[in-house]
Amino acid sequence: MEQPRGQLYRLGPLIVVAVGVVALVGSVALSLGELTSPGPGLWPFVVALLLTGTGLVLLVVDDPDDYEPFTRGSARIAGGLAGLAVFVAAFEVVGFLLPAFLMLLLWLRVFGREPWRWALGLAVAGSIGLYLLFDTALGVRFPDDVVAGLVS
Amino acid sequence: MGVLDGITQGFAVALDPVNILYVFLGVLIGTVIGVLPGLGPTATIALLLPLTYEIEPHTAVILLAGIYYGSMYGGTITSVLLRLPGEAASVVTTFDGYEMAKQGRAGPALGVAAIGSFVGGVLAVVGLALLAPPLAALAVSFGPPEYVALAVLGILLVTYLGTGSALKSLAMAALGLLLATVGQDPIAGTTRFTFGQVALFDGLDFVAVAMGLFGVGEILHSLERTEKVQAVTSRIRNIWPSRADLRESAGAIGRGSVLGFLIGVLPGGGGVVSSLASYALEKRRAKDPSRFGRGAIEGVAGPETANNASSTSAFIPLLTLGIPANVVLALIFGALLVQGVTPGPQLIDQHPEIFWGVIASMFVGNLMLLALNIPLVGVFVQILRVRAGILAAFALLVTMAGVFSINNDATDMWVVLAFGLLGWLMKKTGFEPGPLVLAFVLGEILERAFRQTMLISGGSLGVFVTRPISGGILAVTVLIVVISIVTARRRAGVLHRHDVPEPASVEGDR
Repeated sequence: MEQPRGQLYRLGPLIVVAVGVVALVGSVALSLGELTSPGPGLWPFVVALLLTGTGLVLLVVDDPDDYEPFTRGSARIAGGLAGLAVFVAAFEVVGFLLPAFLMLLLWLRVFGREPWRWALGLAVAGSIGLYLLFDTALGVRFPDDVVAGLVS
Repeated sequence: MGVLDGITQGFAVALDPVNILYVFLGVLIGTVIGVLPGLGPTATIALLLPLTYEIEPHTAVILLAGIYYGSMYGGTITSVLLRLPGEAASVVTTFDGYEMAKQGRAGPALGVAAIGSFVGGVLAVVGLALLAPPLAALAVSFGPPEYVALAVLGILLVTYLGTGSALKSLAMAALGLLLATVGQDPIAGTTRFTFGQVALFDGLDFVAVAMGLFGVGEILHSLERTEKVQAVTSRIRNIWPSRADLRESAGAIGRGSVLGFLIGVLPGGGGVVSSLASYALEKRRAKDPSRFGRGAIEGVAGPETANNASSTSAFIPLLTLGIPANVVLALIFGALLVQGVTPGPQLIDQHPEIFWGVIASMFVGNLMLLALNIPLVGVFVQILRVRAGILAAFALLVTMAGVFSINNDATDMWVVLAFGLLGWLMKKTGFEPGPLVLAFVLGEILERAFRQTMLISGGSLGVFVTRPISGGILAVTVLIVVISIVTARRRAGVLHRHDVPEPASVEGDR
């Protein structure tokens, strides 16, 4: 298969090596101790050594075919993740219902490509249904809900 | 306690109405997600982990185990009808199962698979009941060096028997071990890698890590490449196989049971390896191997039996040694740890209701699956009409609400999201999340045992080799790694010749 992305895939192992090196430095700072009386840093050091080692080998031998290309589909997934992050942030402020409705609508309409009728219907039913399930039936204490506050 | 007493007690647990309900729920959910491409047993179990906080430990394992072996049945349905393996262990079934469906013999293929799965599952349950107690008795004498050897064996085998590159899996296992060190040092209590965050003092939450990597990560990854599935409109007839079909497949079912059981016991064994091995065995034994790939019923019966048998016997190392044999069992292990139960040699004595209850529930569950599958295949196929986008949206929302419910803390939602992103990127770059999670679970056990060993032996590493059991285990580790490197080439050959479609969700089940 053609690999138009050149050497970019080596970024993966490079990150592995970077994490490994940071962990190595961190474990040394924790004090290694001796084999007879291991310090808190000894085990992380051993593990980080393994991580760095495998990362270094991968940097050289890794098969570029292992890497899936990032396509338009990936961009949509990334967008969806950003949407999820907005959901979590909004959830902490205004409660479950409104963010859940918007998140479902976004995912169904934009990423699921459902027609508006389906997307709206499912988003309304889904957000209310899950709210009733978690908050009312299972007694999970969601943050104070702005929308539910309007109704009651 | 004798085996008979144990079984009696087990059935008393399994036949409790609450537990019957959970077995039923488990096998039903398992079958459904086995049918659905894009949501495999690993992702589902990860997503349901918060639920298990609410129920008794034995009920939780009964539920999760049901999902696991239920998915083995469900995965068959789409492999046969659509050449679309719902989970990785069913890939082999597409070779001959789909050919049979094209010849109008989808009914017998599904019927034989269900019967084979039942026989394999039940025989493996019997094997589990007989083999586990003596193994646990032996394991009681294990000291820290043996546990180091066992944990290393488990992690190495999962990395070597995996589908991806062994080196990358090893790197991820190392990352998992490293993540496990976050928080307090298990012996001295020093905080490590917490960056001053109080929330990290107790370490990363296993449930949030697993839900992010497997749940969110896998949903995103499979959503990205799920194509539209065509609906099955033709009616499936003659599910109950004819006498000739049964006669032809009886031998394959018998051999598949034994083979699957043996492979399942090995750490790193499980669905994928056992079904491939059974297919290879049947093909080699056949008088006319050219029939394989053209609708040979043994090619469906053997692998389906083997994958179900192995998914049962994979519980043996977990319940007796406290070492999860594959990623699904690592999740179940984590669920038990969260409940304050540490699986290990003492489990049979300290929590007989878990040990025997789970065994008996597997028998009940397999019976239910047989009853569900033969008449209801047509209904399950309709589940395929649910579009991947809808499924993903709801699964994600339930995940978020579920993870919040554990501690009523939105921080956990951010952890899940972060690990979800990581899991998706790992999948895209060919780094398997399976070894990471397995190593994360085993990390603390391994570190504690390693440091205890060093204290006992006075810093000598030779103790691992000179103690007979740990030395033996390490020798077996080396042996299996060598064998797996040799057979991996052959396995790749088998898959290559058939030019199978990628499983819709590449599961961490192996």
